[in-house]
Amino acid sequence: MMAAGAPTRQPLAPLRSDFTLRFHDDAGLEPLHEATLRLLETTGMRFESPQALAILKKAGAKVDEGSDLVRLPRRLVEEALSLAPREFVLGARDPSCDLQLGSGFTYGTTDGCGVEVVDWHTGERRSSTKADLEAITRMQDCLGSISYWWPTVSAGDCGETAQLHEIEAGWNNTSKHLMGMVQGEPLARAAVEMATAVAGGAAELRRRPVMSDLIGTVSPLLHDKDGIEAGLVFAAAGVPVCYVTMPNLGTTAPATKAGAFVVGAAEIVAAAVLHELAAPGAPVIGSIMQIYADPRTALTLTSPLDDRCRFLATELLHSFGLPALGAFGGTDAQGPGTWLAGAETMLQLVQAPLDGCELTTGIGLTNTYQLFTPENLILDDDLYHRARHAFLDIPMDEESLALDVIEAVGPGGHFLAHTHTRAHMRDAVLRSVSQEIGPDGQHFRDPVEVARERALDILEHYRPEPLAGDVSGELRRLVAAADAAVRR
Amino acid sequence: MNDQLKQAIIDGNEAVALAMTQALVATGATPREILDEALLPGMDVVGARMREGECFIPEVLLSARVMQACLDILRPLMAAGDEAGMGTVVIGTVEGDLHDIGKNLVGMLLQGAGFTVVNLGTGVTASDFVAAVKEHQPRIIGMSALLTTTLPHMSETIALLKDEGLRDAVKVMIGGAPVTAAYAAEIGADGYGANAGMAVERAKELVG
Repeated sequence: MMAAGAPTRQPLAPLRSDFTLRFHDDAGLEPLHEATLRLLETTGMRFESPQALAILKKAGAKVDEGSDLVRLPRRLVEEALSLAPREFVLGARDPSCDLQLGSGFTYGTTDGCGVEVVDWHTGERRSSTKADLEAITRMQDCLGSISYWWPTVSAGDCGETAQLHEIEAGWNNTSKHLMGMVQGEPLARAAVEMATAVAGGAAELRRRPVMSDLIGTVSPLLHDKDGIEAGLVFAAAGVPVCYVTMPNLGTTAPATKAGAFVVGAAEIVAAAVLHELAAPGAPVIGSIMQIYADPRTALTLTSPLDDRCRFLATELLHSFGLPALGAFGGTDAQGPGTWLAGAETMLQLVQAPLDGCELTTGIGLTNTYQLFTPENLILDDDLYHRARHAFLDIPMDEESLALDVIEAVGPGGHFLAHTHTRAHMRDAVLRSVSQEIGPDGQHFRDPVEVARERALDILEHYRPEPLAGDVSGELRRLVAAADAAVRR
Repeated sequence: MNDQLKQAIIDGNEAVALAMTQALVATGATPREILDEALLPGMDVVGARMREGECFIPEVLLSARVMQACLDILRPLMAAGDEAGMGTVVIGTVEGDLHDIGKNLVGMLLQGAGFTVVNLGTGVTASDFVAAVKEHQPRIIGMSALLTTTLPHMSETIALLKDEGLRDAVKVMIGGAPVTAAYAAEIGADGYGANAGMAVERAKELVG
């Protein structure tokens, strides 16, 4: 039973624009598309997995057993990718939160996976824990800007099986879709068992997967054993996998944007080919997150001044027939409520619906994806809704044009007392977190302070729909078994 | 029945409010009782909701208009000299200034709070305000200005009230975008509201 006046779950509010931009048409993309295929065919990709090498070799790829290098003929790539679905469902424990990729919506989630929080009880900055993630997940469940779950922070107190503890925290505190960050074949098997328990069976998991997984590549041009063998486990179970590459200009990728895109795209495409060979029709999502190193210190920069062509990540993946996780946000700001935090986050939130990526991330963390503060999630949620509304069309029917009302008021009059005003004013002016009137009745309150109050209200009073007791118990048992296996 | 009338004021439900007012009159309730036990408490709730940000200005205005419609029933029943609620307020935008939406809004909310409002319009000179004080004997005059260039006319009016020996007979409130509490104190005004709702609260304090 929820406390009186407790916050309730906001309806899912994905991004959508009727004004999607094509930055490059097919001809414009051709140099990158062709270069990617050529790279896969000539330079090739390393797969540090005998299982993956065997699948690829059997399908006709040129495998160098000594170096684990795989060269993928163009025809093999194109045939395999033709099996990859462009549209599919990311299921949720609550079916009303199912996400239909390819429907024109862009579904958002938080940044991840941070490693620190500012404790909202003590103000102490410290390493993140499973309990933190449970609390943050309740915020994710409440907010309409969050369409699917990411582990916003890591369960840093849970050791080698933290990734399983994270998805356990997820399912116990949200009924939205989970995208885990599970790596390694043993943990992936445990995760599939957990997902099967939540979905209500293997067939149901395949039909409406309540979980997907994010797996990182190793730039340049390498798929490590933990990542790719986890991917194969998920592919076999029908669990969608989102491969993410982070080519870093000048270090793990060429110092040119086009070169970095080619490296990133080759890694994603190679993984997708493997999935389609192993489990034809396996749902794969791609994400090319170009990152930058400060040339003096090698510190990661989220958004340098010249951050052009982020559109390209989505367009390039779409050209290979893969859904994209794009506009991945993030900020290098040191804490919430700053000019930098707002500027960097907002730019990405505006880009996402314009480039038409199916999924996006990017709200909640500061300090280059490291630090969670609850007020920052609310501030970013506010930016998200500003971006979302910027692309909504406005009605132009008779009621909205209001010519009869304008006629009745006449030149020099006012609309304050008109019934039409009363009927529409609550929708006409949606107040931002920055528009809470202060006690003097004249000035707006500090939005960071307002955001913190709202965040604490959710953290203290919001109660998500609980997981059925027997399922929750089964998840606990599976995680405990994984813990025990690690100890052995 | 008082509770139903109070709720009708809060809801801005004119049909129910008028019916309840007439029914209360029929039972022998005096206009003063109806004001004090239903109409004004209803507007108090609306005012509080406005302060809390729950109630929007158009909704407050609706309640105020319903309140006025009820007062129209009660006025003929009032004894001579009995004020319809809180007393009279004379309001106007000062000389040289044509902005009046904020001033009119305050006027409507004052009416809703039970004040009788005499609205002198825009471009009101100091002598116009003084003449209105003599004619209507208000408890408060309210001056509005939106331009920094017209602000000095507020202090001119206060000076003229003093010259005419009327300053102690009437409270002076000022408001408008460039007006601050400090400015109000500086020119010797009695009250200032940062927004329309706060202006009404201050007016009630001044006559309370």
